[in-house]
Amino acid sequence: MEPSSPPADGPALSLSPAERKLLVHLRSATAPHSEEEVAAATGLAAEAVRGGLQRLRSKRLTVVDEQHAERLVLTKRGEDGLARGLPERRLLQRLQALGRPADAGELAGGELDAEELPVAIGVLRRRRLLAEGSPFALQPGSESAAAELPEERALAAARDGAAVAPEESSTLKRRGLLAVERSTTRRWSPSEEGGRLPLGDGSRPEEGALRPERLRDGSWREVEFRPYDVRAPVPYVQGPAPHPYLAFLEEFAELLVGLGFAEEEGPLLETEFWNNDVLFMPQEHPARSVHDVFSVRGVEGRLPDAHLLLGVAAAHEGRPLSGTSEPLSVGWRSPFNPEISRRPVLRSQTTSVSARFLASRPRPPFRRYCIGRSFRPDAVDARHHVEFDQCEGILGEEGTSMRELVGMFQALAEGIGIRELRIRPSYFPFTEPSVEGYVRHPSLGWMEVLPGGLFRPEVLRPLGVEVPVAAWGVGLTRLAMVALGVNDIRELFDADLDRLRGGD
Amino acid sequence: MPRAFLSASRLLDGLDPVPPKAELEETLFLSKVELESWEGDALTVSVTPDRLDLLSETGLRSYLEGALGRTGGLPVVHDYTLAPGEFLEATARVAPLRPEIAGLVVHAPVGSALDAGLLEEAVRFQELLHATVGYDRRLASLGIYPASSIKFPLRYDREPMEGLDFVPLEEETPVPAPKFFAEHPLAARYGAYGMEAGECLTLRDANGTVLSLPPVLNSGVAGRVRAGDRRLLLEATGTRRARVEEALSLLAMPFLLRGWSAAPLRVKASDGVHHGEAVLAPRQLSLSDETLGALSGFDIPPEEVEPLLARARYAVRRTSDGWLVAAPAWRADLLGAVDVAEDVLLLRGVRTDEGRLPPSSTEGRRRPEARFRARIGAHLLGLGFTALHSPVLTSEELVARVGRTQSLELTNPVSAELARTRDCLLLSLVAALGANLRHGYPQRFSELGPVLVRDPASESGARTSEHAAFLVAGEGAGFAEAAAILEYLLRRLSVAGVREPAELPGTIPGRAARVMLAGETVAELGELHPSVLEATGALVPAVWGELHLDVLYPLLGPAVEPTSAGPTDPRRASP
Repeated sequence: MEPSSPPADGPALSLSPAERKLLVHLRSATAPHSEEEVAAATGLAAEAVRGGLQRLRSKRLTVVDEQHAERLVLTKRGEDGLARGLPERRLLQRLQALGRPADAGELAGGELDAEELPVAIGVLRRRRLLAEGSPFALQPGSESAAAELPEERALAAARDGAAVAPEESSTLKRRGLLAVERSTTRRWSPSEEGGRLPLGDGSRPEEGALRPERLRDGSWREVEFRPYDVRAPVPYVQGPAPHPYLAFLEEFAELLVGLGFAEEEGPLLETEFWNNDVLFMPQEHPARSVHDVFSVRGVEGRLPDAHLLLGVAAAHEGRPLSGTSEPLSVGWRSPFNPEISRRPVLRSQTTSVSARFLASRPRPPFRRYCIGRSFRPDAVDARHHVEFDQCEGILGEEGTSMRELVGMFQALAEGIGIRELRIRPSYFPFTEPSVEGYVRHPSLGWMEVLPGGLFRPEVLRPLGVEVPVAAWGVGLTRLAMVALGVNDIRELFDADLDRLRGGD
Repeated sequence: MPRAFLSASRLLDGLDPVPPKAELEETLFLSKVELESWEGDALTVSVTPDRLDLLSETGLRSYLEGALGRTGGLPVVHDYTLAPGEFLEATARVAPLRPEIAGLVVHAPVGSALDAGLLEEAVRFQELLHATVGYDRRLASLGIYPASSIKFPLRYDREPMEGLDFVPLEEETPVPAPKFFAEHPLAARYGAYGMEAGECLTLRDANGTVLSLPPVLNSGVAGRVRAGDRRLLLEATGTRRARVEEALSLLAMPFLLRGWSAAPLRVKASDGVHHGEAVLAPRQLSLSDETLGALSGFDIPPEEVEPLLARARYAVRRTSDGWLVAAPAWRADLLGAVDVAEDVLLLRGVRTDEGRLPPSSTEGRRRPEARFRARIGAHLLGLGFTALHSPVLTSEELVARVGRTQSLELTNPVSAELARTRDCLLLSLVAALGANLRHGYPQRFSELGPVLVRDPASESGARTSEHAAFLVAGEGAGFAEAAAILEYLLRRLSVAGVREPAELPGTIPGRAARVMLAGETVAELGELHPSVLEATGALVPAVWGELHLDVLYPLLGPAVEPTSAGPTDPRRASP
């Protein structure tokens, strides 16, 4: 999320007068105090003490030691049982008073209601004071045995705070005669931070933000500055970050500069002449399909310089160049069509930039590179995009051969931290021999990343270049995916602000 | 790259002994074949577009025989002589549609006949050739017929469709040609290459039997090629003689490499008689020692070169300064000496430890324009803008939403989302705004990158222009903020532009401007129109500014950056 404006006075650690008083008291005490003791010492109401101490705790200024206790207490029914006698006592007394067996109808009512009678019968039978069957009759000797029932004894013990056997207490709890009362005793003391917090003497007003007027008139001396809760949550701030992919491209450019390459740039919208024809890409041949192109409507391209166009056409058709007697090769054995040459297309390779540079007839030795977008119609998925960055490099001087090209591959691979490199044959219409440099990725295995070759004579001679020229390209987008750990090429165009700022 | 599904057993049949799988895989790695998968008998390979011959089992086996050193030299092609009446006549009427035709008659070796494996391979290879060298049959298309049921001479003509009945291959009932061209799926795909104004191309034999309607389909009457046939007619039609001959030569290759003999069919055309030798004749090329040494960088002695050339399936003859070689006719990829040199290097192999860096040193440097752009990028980063990297291609809908009607339209887009080129970075910034609706505001992002601007003076009709742009979205974002940021950026360059009111697409009228410097527009800015914001789903104000860096850069002096620690005081800057 974007940062919201922070409060002018920061995350204030404000203390109310009551909190200040409580903290002052706790800091002066030699031992932890209970809330009651604090209330007595400060004169604050118990609720104010409890709330104030909890608020101080949430500000990490106090700590509390909590002691938990349980005790048995008589319920209302239990107290009634002790006062009136438990139902079993009253049934016993009733039968004793009658002096004979009696049925339920005769016993119910009066001292025993309909709910109490079954309970009383059950208890007396478990105590073997009541004979089985109906009418209900006391067992012989029940008078002496029933001098004090165990339930009565346990109930009285609970009332007096004496110990009650667990089985007895649980029976009485089930009958609703006893309950458990839980209590917590809290003993408060200042935290380490609460002990250190500057509290002032309370005689001066407190302020949050330091206001400029206080500085101007010197009145800052007359106020206390309210301490801030330095742990309080603050607004979420994100800073700008360089785009990781663009940073990768920059690093790669610097690597090439270090290897003696000077940068070139060229147009994204080219004519087919510069994108294909000048590179000896046959106008009607499956080799051209290697570089399917995007064409555009609504604009018209122009043909290049006539001399250059004628030279390129001669190379394609297998005719001698102007001023020569032998053709460079048999060519593509198809008529060259200038109307195809003038069509505007989005460049499918940065080799067009190299061609434009070579057309300027540079003086050897030279090394040039171009990093730029290229476009090819392709289904967009995790591994393919119609738009990608390519790096093209050329080196031209007498003596340049496959060995120099391979040497350059090695230097580039080492420059990006790759040591294992293999060379295998490849094909590009504009280079011969054509090779592909494969590098070994730790987890992805062998990957083709360095296509290259030596420009064909059919490319160089029409451009007027007499020295051999080695050319190589790097699929930077693919390399970046590996380097940046990106699994989907579309992520390189991701506009999500969170991810661009570092994924937080 | 073209891909084929091959039978491993058929590929390895006759390679005695069969090489271990690892050796085979290594040999293929060092060839122009990429082994994509090998499961049981099923091989999937892709091949570079220059070596279409390797897309068939027989062609690839021939290569492996050489590469593995099992055999060498030019494969032997057995001649075969046709009777004088066995020729083909092509009328002048075919010229406007599909002028070229070439044919071969191939004959099985004595005591053998077409087997199912070769038939299957040839048919599959035929389709691969249609898709590749044939440019989906537009440049060349191929047919295979049982020659035994054909009466020569043949006639290639253009005829009215009305009254022409045709029995499509695999069918038995005649279909009127107009109905065939209207309804058959292959006619729907390829019919346009062989039909015009109520007429279509036909290939008939001397009995008048329609053998095919080029380049669409063979006739069922001409008979289907079957295992056991011993004499076959192979033909190709197309628009370019070189492509037709190349396709036919490749189609014949599996037969020729398996010992079939072949005879080219004479074609009596309106422009003369074509004897068709090029379809079978070996290609003659030369390679000088100097060229090989210069390309490879190695000093390979002749006694090492000769066996390498032989393994590459060339016939070799040493000359005073190099080699004369003959290659099979189907190696249409061999245009000159450099192609022969590549074959030598391919079989010799190039190890990475044989690489060497060029002796001369050159000075590496960035272009000053690139350094300038990087500086602007750093300023934007310092101002708190998150950098974007967006495609140059954008969507039709976005272009319409922002009203940038001058953006270029692709004729063959792969999707509506990537159908236009951006003519300003505002399009990308608005797209980014839409992609971040779930985030809070303010949002600040920027982009440096190329845009395409129509320019009739440009060779391609549009100029690539480098821009830098930013967008601020959130409560309080307004024109003044964009103007202030642009002023700051220009101050950093020691210049000050002049804002002039402008009507810019996608902005609120009266709240947009151009920044002029030395009479040129160096920047544009404005508040985004509510309709744009609403359609984007961003219900907050947004403001945008865009520098035209390629216009601005030439207007700057040699020192584009003030040397003082802070920006130049605007009151002292002169426009």
